Amino acid sequence: MSEHKPPQLLPPKSLAGPALSAVTMVMCFLACLALGCAVLADRAADRWLVRATSAMSVQIVETARLSAEEQLPAVMRELRATPGIGTINQLSRDDLVALLEPWLGTGNIGDDMPLPLLIEITALPGEVISAQALNAQLRAVAPGARLDTHGQWRETLEATARALTLFAGIVLTMVTLATATVILFATRAGLLANVEILNVLHQIGAQDSYISRRFEGHFVRTVALAGVGGLVFAVLFFYALGALVAEARDEAFLIMLLPVPLAAILLSWQVTRRYVLQRLKAQI
Amino acid sequence: MIRLENTSLRYEQGRDVLSRVNLDIPAGAFRFLTGPSGAGKTSLLKLIFLAHAPSEGRITLMGEDVTTASRKKRALLRRQIGVVFQDFRLVEHLSIYDNVTLPLRIAGQKPASWHDNAVELLNWVGLGAHLDALPETLSGGEKQRAAIARAVITRPQIIIADEPTGNVDPQMGERLVRLLVELNKMGTTIVIATHDRHLWENFDFPRLHLEGGIVQQIAQNSEVGHERA
Repeated sequence: MSEHKPPQLLPPKSLAGPALSAVTMVMCFLACLALGCAVLADRAADRWLVRATSAMSVQIVETARLSAEEQLPAVMRELRATPGIGTINQLSRDDLVALLEPWLGTGNIGDDMPLPLLIEITALPGEVISAQALNAQLRAVAPGARLDTHGQWRETLEATARALTLFAGIVLTMVTLATATVILFATRAGLLANVEILNVLHQIGAQDSYISRRFEGHFVRTVALAGVGGLVFAVLFFYALGALVAEARDEAFLIMLLPVPLAAILLSWQVTRRYVLQRLKAQI
Repeated sequence: MIRLENTSLRYEQGRDVLSRVNLDIPAGAFRFLTGPSGAGKTSLLKLIFLAHAPSEGRITLMGEDVTTASRKKRALLRRQIGVVFQDFRLVEHLSIYDNVTLPLRIAGQKPASWHDNAVELLNWVGLGAHLDALPETLSGGEKQRAAIARAVITRPQIIIADEPTGNVDPQMGERLVRLLVELNKMGTTIVIATHDRHLWENFDFPRLHLEGGIVQQIAQNSEVGHERA
């Protein structure tokens, strides 16, 4: 007799193969997509938030006693004296007209139309300016001055980022549940298809854990291969997306997707093991 | 070696298949188990080879009370009990060699330690030329010899056979029982459930007759086999 290879106790054809592989591959791809998109969206939202919170504008309107121009020197002095402010840029009347034209139409803003003065300020990198305190200081020296912190934009951005993270979480949860269900059904079908072999193994002294390992080995191998396949497709997708979002090609970002197939392997192992052990105790 | 005391077996919520059965088979004994259909012969064997736990009573095997043994312990004990079924129960996609050596693999023994013995055993049961054959290519008698080889390869202390000659012709049936007699001569306790009158008449061993929940020992022509105290 030639050198003997250890036999595969469960016939491969009796266990879910290509169908399980295809479904798991799609699930892993979707999970990578959900995770990757959530990470990209979160990072983009962070950048937008940093820009939004570091840029503020001061608007000066005329009051009953003072024109905007009369209040301007005091406002400029106050801004220059405030620590943490990096740039101070007063917009010209032409800049203001250009900002208003999309709403009022080209040529509709005459020279006689009163416009407020607008000063853009940005914080130095890493500096946080207290908007409330600055606003109070400006109002003290110029009653017509008002600090605009883009708070509404920031709240919208934060809400969008939270919604995207929640959405990704829901997708990941659903993909996980769907994958666990598919593996569960495949394991159940495998148990039913091999009930005679299981009875033989049981009768000749195989312990539950030994029988369970036959199933675990098969499903973990299948899911591992499919998971890697799903990951490869996801990497290709993000690489293509890199043409639009450069960060999608970032090595560190792509490495973040690695836990997806690992989680799928862990999931398949645990689902298979728990189900097989439970059924063996109930049936044999 | 095998002792049942007031042992009952009930499946799910049904009636008792066996009710308060008492049985005592000494080590090294050879017994036929007979009885009418439905008397509970197979159920009795299932209790002995630990496929089921009794619903009441006590079972002692090889000097050990196994009535409430854990699943793990029962699996380990089953390795010391060889079982032969009427329908062979060979794993169809495995070769005869792999089928026969399966209990050793499950016990975690390394192939190098048993390969030669396995081949010798298969030669002994007349299957030396069929090591790589799949069960479907063998006759009923050959399959049953493979099943016997699988049952004895771990050198169990007890061999239980449930209608082992049921699917083979009478001549082959006698040859199979002779194989079991040879094993009994080496000290293995053998219990064969059969409804084949010719079998128990041709072999000089006592039989246990199960009927109405009572096991009655009927001695054959001479002294009791190769029993040890």
